[in-house]
Amino acid sequence: MQALNAFLIPILDLQLLGLVAIGTFAGIYVGAIPGLSVTMAVSILISFTFKWDVYPALSLMIGIFMGGVYGGSRTAILLNIPGAPAAIATALDGYPMAKRGEAGEAIGITTVMSFFGGFMGIIALAVAAPLVSEFALKFQPRDYMLLAVLGILLVGSLSGDSLVKGVFAGALGILIGTVGLDPLTMADRFTFQMPELRGGISFIAVMIGMFGISEALMQLHDVNKAAVKQKISRIVPSWGTVVKYLPLSLQSGSIGVIIGALPGTGGDIAALMAYDHAKRVTPNPEVPFGEGAREGLVAPETANNAAVGGAFIPMMTLGIPGDAVTAIMIGALFIHGLNPGPMLMIEKPDMFWFIVGALTMANCFMLLFGLTGIKVFVKIVEMPRSVLIPLIFLLSIVGAYAVNGSLSDVYWMLAFGVLGYFMKLYGYQLGPVILGVILSRLLDDNWRRAIISDQESLWLLLKGTVTSPLSALLLLSVLAIVLSKTKLWRRWRGQAA
Amino acid sequence: MSDARVRRPGEAAFAVIITAFSGFLLWTAYRISGFEALSSPGALPMASAATMVVSAVMIAAQTLRSKPADGQSLRRDIMPMPIVLTIVMVGAYALLLKPLGFLPTSFLFVAILIRVLGGQGIVFCATVSASSILLIYIVFRVIFNVIMPEGIVPEREILAFFGRLWPAGQ
Repeated sequence: MQALNAFLIPILDLQLLGLVAIGTFAGIYVGAIPGLSVTMAVSILISFTFKWDVYPALSLMIGIFMGGVYGGSRTAILLNIPGAPAAIATALDGYPMAKRGEAGEAIGITTVMSFFGGFMGIIALAVAAPLVSEFALKFQPRDYMLLAVLGILLVGSLSGDSLVKGVFAGALGILIGTVGLDPLTMADRFTFQMPELRGGISFIAVMIGMFGISEALMQLHDVNKAAVKQKISRIVPSWGTVVKYLPLSLQSGSIGVIIGALPGTGGDIAALMAYDHAKRVTPNPEVPFGEGAREGLVAPETANNAAVGGAFIPMMTLGIPGDAVTAIMIGALFIHGLNPGPMLMIEKPDMFWFIVGALTMANCFMLLFGLTGIKVFVKIVEMPRSVLIPLIFLLSIVGAYAVNGSLSDVYWMLAFGVLGYFMKLYGYQLGPVILGVILSRLLDDNWRRAIISDQESLWLLLKGTVTSPLSALLLLSVLAIVLSKTKLWRRWRGQAA
Repeated sequence: MSDARVRRPGEAAFAVIITAFSGFLLWTAYRISGFEALSSPGALPMASAATMVVSAVMIAAQTLRSKPADGQSLRRDIMPMPIVLTIVMVGAYALLLKPLGFLPTSFLFVAILIRVLGGQGIVFCATVSASSILLIYIVFRVIFNVIMPEGIVPEREILAFFGRLWPAGQ
């Protein structure tokens, strides 16, 4: 009953419902406009909503998250520019459909299928999260430590071509997270006797710099690129079309949930895997894949929205974010005094059910806004980048300043923005940096708990790890990721093939 | 990263800089509590800094071994003028924010940047800048109550004036 009441809060409270609606609406546009991303929007938003109560702040952020994942498909179809990485696969068939004058139909199919996918993810979250969190209570400190390392390594290895660069980025993030006074001993860590560093580096400044400033700087490379104009035809797909693609949608949604729930993976990988699945199970599509096949829209769009609910499972139950966006969502929960993990599910189950309710409403609003206002939308995405980018910079600066009213946060944001820009240019992943910053406290606490309980002995820690099935499995997973990226492994696989 | 990968302009210098910086961070981490205990406050910083050093050395070695990319230049592909100018302008914005205040600094920042990046006319730049800043100001200052530096603009007096015009809204 308590769960149902919490679930209904964002539905029955008009203010919260309105915030979910505004968030979803804004998220669709943020996700759609090239140069703006969900990560950027949520990180900037935290700086403005951190003084709010937790429910309104979460309502807005969940709306942005859900809308943003879907919104990326709009520009993928209309301009052949995926608004978000999760929409890369959508562009492959969406843009050819738009070139044939079927942009409206393509948008309609993606919207309905995203809605189905979103619901599949939410149902999976509601069913699986309580079970996972109960299991997670058996975790030892070393398991949390290994899980955090596993999450950072997975994000590092899957989001770029170089594990070494991913490891570097993750370690950098952990190190940034340790700056300031040690909470246990009050020892100075990387403060260089500067009082303003004793409170640590604001992770919001790091996030806005890494995702806002660096992305906006990258966009400056194509500042004068002209937008392609499109005509909009019929939008709402026929019932027959929906029924025809429902089986593929269900299969793709299942892929999305599973991929989204794995730490280190997100909507982009889910969408690509679902696209690949669609190609394999549809040997004779009406239109070939890559030339405007409807199956090529159904699969990735269902999967990437299903991955949203999936990504909330490790975030809510273990406190381990699956990707950069959920890392930022965890940051938002921290700011509001909540500590995601199994204890949150036990101590504050209402918070979990509130999130499920808000996601459900965001999904419904996504369907509503997705099928309306597309002609106005087309005009907005045609806004020149030379106008859009200065506004992104301004919002980023205001966001970084607003948290503590401190100019040093603006300088940190700028420094991390420039660093992030070079890291992106040279193939370093930024996701692990944010994951490292967010997980550094969890890593530090659990490492110290684990080593103290093992009498400061590495041997005892290792012995405990290999004799516990769960710890051994996590350790093996960590080793497997590292091993899979070595030359030795590649050579062995080459010989085996 | 495969050895066949090409090296972009400035990539080798970046790799060397991050290696040196990682080394400096490792030394700083060591100075927190040395090898006092595995649970000491410096343990995680040392472990992460050491990981950075090892990975940065590997990256630097791979980068230095790779071939330079053909037809790319530092000025055109890595640090083109709009990017340099924008970074300088964000720095200048941060410097001027306190003394000048949010409204005039933001107006100048957005208007100049639109002009520099898009080459639009002065009236267009000023109009877009003023209207977008007004919108941002209403949303964040009036609705979200985010306090920004006032500088030379008597914002409180202006807001109080509008407040008196709509007393019921207060």
